[in-house]
Amino acid sequence: MATKNSELSSSEIKISVKHLNVGFPLGEKQIIKDVSFDVKKGEINGFLGISGAGKTTIIRVLTCQIPKKNWEGEVTVAKISPEKKSNHRELLSKIGYVPQLENLNLYYDLTPMVNVEIFASNYGIDKDIAVKKAQDLLSILDVPEDTWYNKTRSLSGGEKKRLSFAIGMINDPDILFLDEPTTGVDAAKRYDVLSYLKKINRNTGTTMMIITHDLEAAHICDTVAILRAGKLLEYGDPKGLISSLPSQGQIARLTIEDLDRNKINKVRDFAPVKKVMRSGNEILEVFMEDFDINLSKLVEYCIHNDIKIISLSRDEATFRRYFQIRIKEEEEREQRFEQGGGH
Amino acid sequence: MSGKSRDKHKSINDGKKIGDKDTGLFRLKKMIKKEFRLLGTDKMNLLIALVIPPAVIFLFAFMINQAGETPPIPCVVISSDSNSFVNPNSYVETTWDNYTFAYLDAVDNHTESLDLLAFYNTSEEVYAMEIAREQLLSGEISIIIVLNVEFSEMIIGGMPAFIESVPDSSDIMNIQTNLNAVADSIAAFTDLNNLTPQFVYNTYEEFSIPSEYSFQYNYNITLTLSFIIFGISMVLTILVVVQEKPIPRLLLSPAKREEILLSKYITYMMILAFQVTTIMVVCLMTGLYCRGSLIQLWIALYTVGMTGLSLGIFVSTLSNTKTEANQLFFALFIVIVLLSGIFIPVDAMPLPLQIFAYILPLSHGDPMIRGIVTKGKGFFGFDFLCLMALVAALILITFLIMKRKRYEV
Repeated sequence: MATKNSELSSSEIKISVKHLNVGFPLGEKQIIKDVSFDVKKGEINGFLGISGAGKTTIIRVLTCQIPKKNWEGEVTVAKISPEKKSNHRELLSKIGYVPQLENLNLYYDLTPMVNVEIFASNYGIDKDIAVKKAQDLLSILDVPEDTWYNKTRSLSGGEKKRLSFAIGMINDPDILFLDEPTTGVDAAKRYDVLSYLKKINRNTGTTMMIITHDLEAAHICDTVAILRAGKLLEYGDPKGLISSLPSQGQIARLTIEDLDRNKINKVRDFAPVKKVMRSGNEILEVFMEDFDINLSKLVEYCIHNDIKIISLSRDEATFRRYFQIRIKEEEEREQRFEQGGGH
Repeated sequence: MSGKSRDKHKSINDGKKIGDKDTGLFRLKKMIKKEFRLLGTDKMNLLIALVIPPAVIFLFAFMINQAGETPPIPCVVISSDSNSFVNPNSYVETTWDNYTFAYLDAVDNHTESLDLLAFYNTSEEVYAMEIAREQLLSGEISIIIVLNVEFSEMIIGGMPAFIESVPDSSDIMNIQTNLNAVADSIAAFTDLNNLTPQFVYNTYEEFSIPSEYSFQYNYNITLTLSFIIFGISMVLTILVVVQEKPIPRLLLSPAKREEILLSKYITYMMILAFQVTTIMVVCLMTGLYCRGSLIQLWIALYTVGMTGLSLGIFVSTLSNTKTEANQLFFALFIVIVLLSGIFIPVDAMPLPLQIFAYILPLSHGDPMIRGIVTKGKGFFGFDFLCLMALVAALILITFLIMKRKRYEV
């Protein structure tokens, strides 16, 4: 039974990475340090991290862009290892890729349909099938029909982005890799872009791996990975990660008059408090044990210590807040490590 | 934000507190600094921009200043002086030819600008003129000097003697040089033999075009055809690789680098075929006289075009930015034109430049095309083989560069 289960689960895994190390050269300048994770079939996986965290390096290993001499570990993408050069064409035929910048994916002086045809032909897809497929994809992505045969240059930024998604999907890939899909999109449209990705995922069941520093992307992700300085800090579903915070991610948001370091330390000294974070000039976010029981006690404690609370609200932590806490914890841990002489 | 940094932020936003630095000059200085920083990001481009212009001037100066003496012009002398001459007044028959040998001595030993390859006496070699013209056609010699029947008799009789010369007029640049060399030999001959310089000196232009065609147009267009074909094919291909930004993305599909490059060669070879045909048609319509076969001319022009195409794609693959490719094109084109033999004959250049010049396409393309158009020669020969070798080498190197080039999305 155990064997059957393990076979079933391994068949569902689309990306498997075990103990991945990347360096230029390997063993000296380590960019990725012992990263392991699996992405299951149909999942949207988000790799989140600030610039220089190593997100792009991981995607480059998975998409055969980094030669084997620069990495070690067990990696399979759609059950194919990028280790051997002879596997590259087969692997690349099973994936789609949407680069960060549209001009790397689109011929601006050609029409969207011709663009799709060009990329489809690389996968051996006939013009008729490519056109039909393009029509389906562009319809799903709400690219207006009257733009399909105009020059791509005349499309809006959002339309170009969606055309780029369509090109990434033209070969019905097992896995679609997306590099910073919301870059260059204004804040109001970012949600739309992410919604279109979710729509594609829902309609086609395509596994997606998104690398981004846009933490909003976590909303559409089934699993997220937090990467910092080449190390994988966390991996799991976003809600689960948020609920791993003290008080299951519940926050007491206090607006305190003349908030300063002394008052913050005073709040921190209250025994049930697990974490205190300043948010803005006068706002303090407080995580604590047994939230419901201790909230009123916290208010009494503040009054008792001459801390004037202007307002109080309860809130649930967002993934953004989780990310900030986790990164800060890691920074503090490293600081302690360095101060302790590396011990 | 700390109090200090908040204050700093405020002072930057408050124009009055910035003081003297808030001037157009200050901004201009900062912008110039920014431009230098941007230039520094493309070091190769900067290097080309700074190094190539003085290098071209240096090359030009080296070519001109170090140029040796123009090599002696290969020639043959044909004499009919030994043939029987009957004086119509006295019916005296003479076969005097002593001044023929005196002239040969002047050419061979006292005229540095001529290199006597052969002497034909028509009394012994009936087909002397035909043999000499074959030599002229093959490029073995550049001029035929003919001494007429009564050459010695006329000199002895104190009358002007006849000398005729037939220079290779397919090479318009050197016709006058060839004729001047003959004049040198006549001057040496009269000096050596204490003669009064009374000679009738006739010249005939071998391979000249029929009278109904424009001399001016034909010689100029022949000279520039190889430059035109080479230039346009290179210009057309100089950006084909470097400006195609989606190439790295294409490489994340099953497409291979070799396929991408090959598709470019095939496309531009097809365009080149069209260009060559069009240029030939236009040339013929505007009065080109081609002594050789038009098919041979087409093949020759296509071969020259292939060198431009291969060089263009090579530069485009090698370059990292469009500006770099444009700069390299300009530099290469100038060097190729400079060393093509237009300004100074390749043989007169310093030896290292001669070797370099013979690797360059126009040094072979121009004589090959001139040979077909003016002399009616075939395309197949040393020049053609050199060009094919150059094309093959460039294509091979380009594929190797493409294979090793780092593309990342």
